[in-house]
Amino acid sequence: MSALRVEGLSAGYGGPPVLRDVSFEAEPGETVCVLGPNGGGKTTLFRVLLGELEPQAGRVAGPSRPAYVAQTERTRLDFPVSALDVALMGTLARGRWWLPPRGADRSAAAAALERVGLADRADTRFGELSGGQRQRALLARALVQDARLLLLDEPLSGVDPASAASIAGVFEELRAEGRTLLVSSHDVESARTFDSVLCLHGRQVAFGPPAEVLDRSTLEATYGSEMIVLEEGGAKRAVTVHHHEHGDH
Amino acid sequence: MPSPLDFADLPFLRDALLELVLLGIAGGILGAWIVLRRLAFFSHAVGSATFPGLVAADASGVSPTLAGVAVALGYAGGVERAGRAGREPSEATALLLVACLAGGVVLASDVFESGAAVDRLLFGTLLGLDGIDLALSAAAAALATIATLTLGRAWAALTFDPESAGTLGLPAGVADFLLLALVAVAAVAAIPAVGVLLVTAIYVLPAAAARLVAGSVPALIGWALALALAEGVLGLYLAYWLDVPPGPPVALLGAATYLVMSLVTRR
Repeated sequence: MSALRVEGLSAGYGGPPVLRDVSFEAEPGETVCVLGPNGGGKTTLFRVLLGELEPQAGRVAGPSRPAYVAQTERTRLDFPVSALDVALMGTLARGRWWLPPRGADRSAAAAALERVGLADRADTRFGELSGGQRQRALLARALVQDARLLLLDEPLSGVDPASAASIAGVFEELRAEGRTLLVSSHDVESARTFDSVLCLHGRQVAFGPPAEVLDRSTLEATYGSEMIVLEEGGAKRAVTVHHHEHGDH
Repeated sequence: MPSPLDFADLPFLRDALLELVLLGIAGGILGAWIVLRRLAFFSHAVGSATFPGLVAADASGVSPTLAGVAVALGYAGGVERAGRAGREPSEATALLLVACLAGGVVLASDVFESGAAVDRLLFGTLLGLDGIDLALSAAAAALATIATLTLGRAWAALTFDPESAGTLGLPAGVADFLLLALVAVAAVAAIPAVGVLLVTAIYVLPAAAARLVAGSVPALIGWALALALAEGVLGLYLAYWLDVPPGPPVALLGAATYLVMSLVTRR
């Protein structure tokens, strides 16, 4: 049985849908890269999967409470919490949020920080961590939630190489544990390391294994004029023009 | 310079001291959440929103305190609904704030001709704190403590990362409303002692200063609690000495403390 099934999904914010005709399935242990330009519908899809936005049409069948790793820009950097406190927030998903954390909660949070390579920064203020370390702290919180489905909103954008390697390593472990990952990205090259790729541009452009999906015509349909193709030593490489805009749909 | 022993000997001073201690507890604990959730403007506005109701109740023999609590809770419900609808509430808050203050002044001066009552409501009083005032402040202090012990983790997670809070299974709407309702009740509780205009002296200034030095939520609450109690008690002593209402000295002490701490901690 698939871990996540989306059928004929359309969604929007009151007006006409900003995302139409999305249908795909993901198996346990499958990693899906969601590609698309700003405003292409990546965040809208995530909001539907998180249950924050009702679909205008179609249906979604999946775990009721996925874990979510937001872009770090959307968290409060001035909030007085340590990396350990952030990881500990994941234990709220176990219910019992009205009680103080137990020893088991603390050790789960510490173990998650260890997994993302932040054990030595456990007591550092979240706002004082580097961008990549903050992303890893949020990933640790998601690990503590122990969810079958994880949604990650551009976890690799703008992170340092050490953090990117650590995050990629955790993705591998999660895949081996049979968890399903949906990871939105701007980076066409990184999409090749995923099991499948979902291309969105206001609608579903393509879904399938990267070798089938990531060809020039699909990428042009996905990114339109935002894409340029570089030729390096005979090999063609697609690069998207990344505008640093947030609050995209 | 009056003897501190007066606070033990004179019943009205004893009541005022108890009131300021209770408000210090409520102010320190809730103030931490007010500054973290950026509710400073709301805490100021909710007190002022009750002002015309307080004037009308005072003139017609109804307990102004209870009337104020009812108005403030209704106001908190409206703000919570507006927030859920995704609206930026500060413009509506500002509009309501001005309308209510002006309406209250008109009611007090032209309709009920209760000039002395207006001064008392705007800036607080040392005299005439009654049992209901003390009971409401005790309730605010107790509720703030209980709510922080039970809802504190949820409030922290909701504030830190509102987008992800839903996936943690937290009752975001209920938790938000309870915080607003608690701030509303606490703001009304502070009005008899410090007045409508200076509610933030208790609920915002100590916690804002604490924010400059605290590295964690528990430390923030601890610092805010200590500062709110110290400023409240010292402010009350100054009020008695200088023969002024307690609101202004408490507010001045809070502002001075914030100023000194921001200079000391500036890097």
